[in-house]
Amino acid sequence: MWLKALELRDFRNYESLQLFDLSPRVNIFVGQNAQGKTNVVESVLMLAVAKSHRTSRDAEVIRFEAETALVQGMVEREDRTLKLDLHMLAKGKKSRVNGVEKRKMSDFVGHLNVVLFAPEDLQLIKGGPQLRRRFLDVEIGQVSPQYLYNLSQYQKVLLQRNTLLKEISKKEKKEDLLAIWDEQLCVYGAKVVQKRYEFVEKLEHFARDIHSRISGGKELLSFRYVNSFDLLEGADVTERFFETLQSKRRQDILRGTTSVGPHRDDLEVRIDDREVHTYGSQGQQRTASLSMKLAEIELIRAEVGEYPVLLLDDVLSELDSERQLHLVESMGERVQTLITTTTTYGLEQFMQEQAHVYRVEHGVICREG
Amino acid sequence: MLFYPEAISNLVDGFNRLPGIGPKTAQRLAFHVISMKEGDVMELAKALVNAKRHLHHCSVCCNITDIDPCRICNDQSRRRDMICVVQEAKDVVAMERTREFNGLYHVLQGAISPIEGIGPDQIRIAELLRRLQDPELEVEEIIMATNPNIEGEATAMYLSRLLKPVGIKITRIAAGLPVGGDLEYADEVTLSKALEGRREL
Repeated sequence: MWLKALELRDFRNYESLQLFDLSPRVNIFVGQNAQGKTNVVESVLMLAVAKSHRTSRDAEVIRFEAETALVQGMVEREDRTLKLDLHMLAKGKKSRVNGVEKRKMSDFVGHLNVVLFAPEDLQLIKGGPQLRRRFLDVEIGQVSPQYLYNLSQYQKVLLQRNTLLKEISKKEKKEDLLAIWDEQLCVYGAKVVQKRYEFVEKLEHFARDIHSRISGGKELLSFRYVNSFDLLEGADVTERFFETLQSKRRQDILRGTTSVGPHRDDLEVRIDDREVHTYGSQGQQRTASLSMKLAEIELIRAEVGEYPVLLLDDVLSELDSERQLHLVESMGERVQTLITTTTTYGLEQFMQEQAHVYRVEHGVICREG
Repeated sequence: MLFYPEAISNLVDGFNRLPGIGPKTAQRLAFHVISMKEGDVMELAKALVNAKRHLHHCSVCCNITDIDPCRICNDQSRRRDMICVVQEAKDVVAMERTREFNGLYHVLQGAISPIEGIGPDQIRIAELLRRLQDPELEVEEIIMATNPNIEGEATAMYLSRLLKPVGIKITRIAAGLPVGGDLEYADEVTLSKALEGRREL
């Protein structure tokens, strides 16, 4: 699918914006800081998910002095064209698909699929394990409500168990009370772990290919889900979790917290079999983060049957010019891509030949060339 | 700044402390009470005080009752070999509405939850154990009808571990699809729970 036209009214710094000739391939928005590049990206994201990634208050996107904001998009899908309207009011919002009002936002969401890569996503590998756990949880949760349920049950049991551990270490409660929480912790925890294993396998399949393209075929990306309890070949996950939990019980009571389980796991990323978090260069860490996110494109296609729209917000400058070029070329072949950037150094030729280029200045956007 | 006389704000605060009632509703109720006839207000006040004074917990099953033992425990037509364990007195009402269960109840008055500071000693487990020791009562089955959330599940598990050595049959109520509903409208979580609990035909 691709976004053919975008129209904004009183959205952020745009009084009125009309883009009728977006390319189904690569669209580059060039401009200085604070001119409104990210606002374009934000508006497209809102057409897809009816929420902003920058604020939880929808009214914030309404232009200063205006009453309401409007985002309109024309989406070309394989079998049909869809006109999407999202109207932000001071209180609440209204949405339409082909002129038909959708009462529930969940009926509006999903007509346009996007994958957004924003600067904070570059931390995915460099940052702590909680970032990678959240990545797994969000990505799996999008396609499996069952996973989200098991995860939230797991977190509830964990909180109960940790509270009890602290009471036991203060001798306020007896140790045998742990058993009733351990059992549930293992049931939900094992389901979470199993689903993550399955997902990481799929993710590796797609991310490896993408990474190879961005790095010009020079690097081999691989993933390993690092479990806080050893999984033996053929052993039952729930049982292994339970056994490890029992063996760590003394330690858990002393520390007043649970030391094994999916809340302690990590996703290890390797390039050419070397762990990137510790040994990778900044550039490799960024590229690998990007490849992980971009794999989402293929995961969505496997799920929905069509490629989503890719939004790359201000991330090109983080890569060397060779990787930049590989990225826009390899993505643009199959996926409509909207890129914002302050500098076009290294991409001049590509821009002239294969991309639509828009210059963004003070809330006005002009097509170049 | 005080907007109304103290008598009204006391009343508003009183309502506000009730479950499910926010400041707006509390205010509405308070002003309604003031506009009521004095006789009606007295009746309401009496009903409140009476309910509190005359109701207590059954010394056998811990359900709310005005006589002791309660009507269900006293009812000789009920089976005495089955006890259904529930969390709250409300749950007894729900079970009774089914008209399917003709045994006795035990109301735990809560579920084990460390984060709320509730352990086995804070709910009526000791009372249940004492009941089971009564030689006149020959209990053959205990049905765990605690809520299907993690606290209810933990409580059921705790009890079953505790009671296993006694040699009584312990069962857990099933979870899954609502009856009369269409499969297509069931949410994924409920549906997969139902799938887990499938049985052979």
